[in-house]
Amino acid sequence: MFGYIVRRMIGTLPVMLLISLLVFMLVQAAPGDPADLLLSDEASKEDIEEARIRWGLDQPVYVQYWRFLVAALQGDLGMSFRYADPVLLLIVDRLPATIELAFFSIVIAVIVALPLGVWAGARPNSWVDNLGSIVGFFGISMPNFWFGIMLILVVSGVLNLLPSAGRETYGVAGDPITGFYILDSVIQRNWAAAWDGIKYIILPATALGTNMMGIMMRVTRSSVLEVMHEDYVITARAKGAKESTVLWHHAVRNAMIPIITVVGLELGTLLSGSIIVETVFSWPGGGSLLISAITARDYPLITGTVLCYTFAFVMINFAIDVMYGLIDPRIRFDK
Amino acid sequence: MRKLLSLRTAAAALTMAAAVTLTATSATAEKKVVIGATGNIYGWNPYQDSAAQMYGIWCNIYGCLCRYDFKKADYSPMLAKSWSVNPKDPNEWTFKLRKDVKSHSGAELTAADVVHTINRIKTDKQSSQKQNVRPLKSATAIDKHTVRMITKKPTAHLLQHVCDIYAITRKAVFDKHGPRDADRKHPDGFGPYKLDRVVIGEQVITKRAKNSVFGNKDNPDVLIWRKMAEVEQRVTALLNGEIQIAQFIPPHLMKRVEAGKGTKLSYTDSVEIMMLLMNPAFKPWDNKKLRQAVAHAIDRDMLIKTILQGMAGKLKGAIGPGQIGYDADRSKAFDLQYDPAKAARLVKEAGYPNGVDVEMSTPVGRYVNDKIITQAIVPMLAKVGIRAKLLTPEWSTQWANVRKGKRSFFYQGRGSVIDPGPALAQYFKTGVSPRIKYSNPKYDALFDEVAKEFDPKKRQKLINDAIAVLVDDVPAVFMWRHRLAYGVANNVTISPPANGRIYGENIRIK
Repeated sequence: MFGYIVRRMIGTLPVMLLISLLVFMLVQAAPGDPADLLLSDEASKEDIEEARIRWGLDQPVYVQYWRFLVAALQGDLGMSFRYADPVLLLIVDRLPATIELAFFSIVIAVIVALPLGVWAGARPNSWVDNLGSIVGFFGISMPNFWFGIMLILVVSGVLNLLPSAGRETYGVAGDPITGFYILDSVIQRNWAAAWDGIKYIILPATALGTNMMGIMMRVTRSSVLEVMHEDYVITARAKGAKESTVLWHHAVRNAMIPIITVVGLELGTLLSGSIIVETVFSWPGGGSLLISAITARDYPLITGTVLCYTFAFVMINFAIDVMYGLIDPRIRFDK
Repeated sequence: MRKLLSLRTAAAALTMAAAVTLTATSATAEKKVVIGATGNIYGWNPYQDSAAQMYGIWCNIYGCLCRYDFKKADYSPMLAKSWSVNPKDPNEWTFKLRKDVKSHSGAELTAADVVHTINRIKTDKQSSQKQNVRPLKSATAIDKHTVRMITKKPTAHLLQHVCDIYAITRKAVFDKHGPRDADRKHPDGFGPYKLDRVVIGEQVITKRAKNSVFGNKDNPDVLIWRKMAEVEQRVTALLNGEIQIAQFIPPHLMKRVEAGKGTKLSYTDSVEIMMLLMNPAFKPWDNKKLRQAVAHAIDRDMLIKTILQGMAGKLKGAIGPGQIGYDADRSKAFDLQYDPAKAARLVKEAGYPNGVDVEMSTPVGRYVNDKIITQAIVPMLAKVGIRAKLLTPEWSTQWANVRKGKRSFFYQGRGSVIDPGPALAQYFKTGVSPRIKYSNPKYDALFDEVAKEFDPKKRQKLINDAIAVLVDDVPAVFMWRHRLAYGVANNVTISPPANGRIYGENIRIK
């Protein structure tokens, strides 16, 4: 197992290198010069030229990339043109908000999709199965930015139940400890702040998690449906095991491998989806940071943020691979 | 056991409810106003960007020497009590500072702070405001409360670069802590609001400075700018009571705000002049008659009435009421009337009896209904023989091309036009910027005079003489200034700023 982990870790390096090269070249190829976009309308040609030199944009692209690479290997992703702060600091500042949002999205998706999928798979063509299909297709087909705007209009606008934007109400939270607002509030036993955080996160997490929920529901259903006809399930029934034991102990456990694979893959989609959802809900995470960086052609920030997202995606897939072995003891990594 | 659990649950719920109530009660004790703002929040350094919103925020916190008063159509003092130009040397400006202004920590405002500010704008590596100190040759503290600024050449519009712009930071704090910590950990301004917290890309929280000489008791105790780029979100948040001021409500959402139980609309005329520019460096826009044809082909009144739903004031000439140099009488002659027959005739006289094909471009979503407006202009032009192909690039691409002079015919705004000197020179004076390669020696000479003339009456005449040249040459059709609508909670009053800067002193809350 250890050897496998080391091999996989080394295997991520060329991926990161390739992505960094691709992103670097792509942002450079995009029309629009950062100096033009970031300086004032009143800035002169000299101001623009001075900014280009300061940011190293007067150098050939391969020199810029080499400088970036050398610095990145030392843990320095450069300075943001727009925010005049180290890119790594900006990302680290924003990361807790994105992770918090992704976590709650998964929680919402799992809470709805797993029981519904299992139930639908166990009783095909029943009303639960039909309901599950509707929920599943709704989740899969709904673009999350549109669903987010609808949630804002209906839940916040018409019903006035939840806040429409942001992450917290002024004056409620204590000082941040970990950057995870809800967790910090729980640590500080500030229940009002914890509730405040939950109120703010429900809508963006729902908008973000709905797609995952739909896919997870469909996969769970088909996976459970498949294993319900396996010999070991029939054997369990023949031995007189209760139906709930057959379902949850024998069937669901064996159906988990494809579900986990899908969850792993969808986590990547979740990260990319958060970019849009964070913008719609003014959620101060890495996604909205990336959008503002793209708009301003903030090259270091774009490259740094995309690299972090790539790294997260690679790590998630890696973690999922490791989990296979934990769930299914037949899977071994050493060969 | 179950009973015990349910009792515990009930107790926890009660605790939570009590906590929520307590928080709500303490929150109501402070009069709080949250502004749903369209601009981004960039960071702690007051000189690192040059967006109108951040200029306003820093002026609230650090204080500015002076600000523009749109009602008076003149500059008003803030940290400076007066200023003057040496009649014998038009390069020499003297600013007298108020002696009663103290920083939030109680330190006195001194001329050294103003000089330090100017030097920092000039030398700070992160400064994006260098254009504002470029007219200055030097700045010196004459005594504790007097600053002398020497310009490189006579610059009658200097205050346009100074007022609402220079956020005065303390030299002593900078010397002690360095730029990074001075801004982040020890912000000590002279303005009416103290910096409480900056969350990059999200919000700036400020609190009323108790020792400030500015403002009054009706101003909010806490003033928050929260970034809300999506207009639907701003309107929903306003109607919900999450925010009290929503910037820039577009015409199609105004009714929703008006219909809200606790909300209303407040209006202001923007100082941004909207133009349809024609770059003579590109054919066929080197042809004056064709440019004149465009001006007569567009029915601006109809566009304002229908697409903008009345939310714009037609420009007669390059500027309108409230802007320096505006002359209501002379502007009547600058109104190029909608006359499609004349426009069609001009197209033929320009040498295009069978019409002409051109490319027109506009950013999308940058200005109110920009794409729809230009889409409506296309058939108007076609009617007189100008067949326009509309390009709609995203703002970043369009702006980079405009700045490099790569756009031939485009819809564009120029903001912050209080004194039209810098803006009109930037677009139309020979060699100032590559955006429009228009050149007219008569116009250049007039604008050189405008920059040197300090007498307001004479200056107004020169500005209008220069505008008359532009109206005749038509390198641009001056379209309108948008009327900006702000959504405001009923318990709040604000005179919305025409230049996008929101000052806490102008907000009153019941």
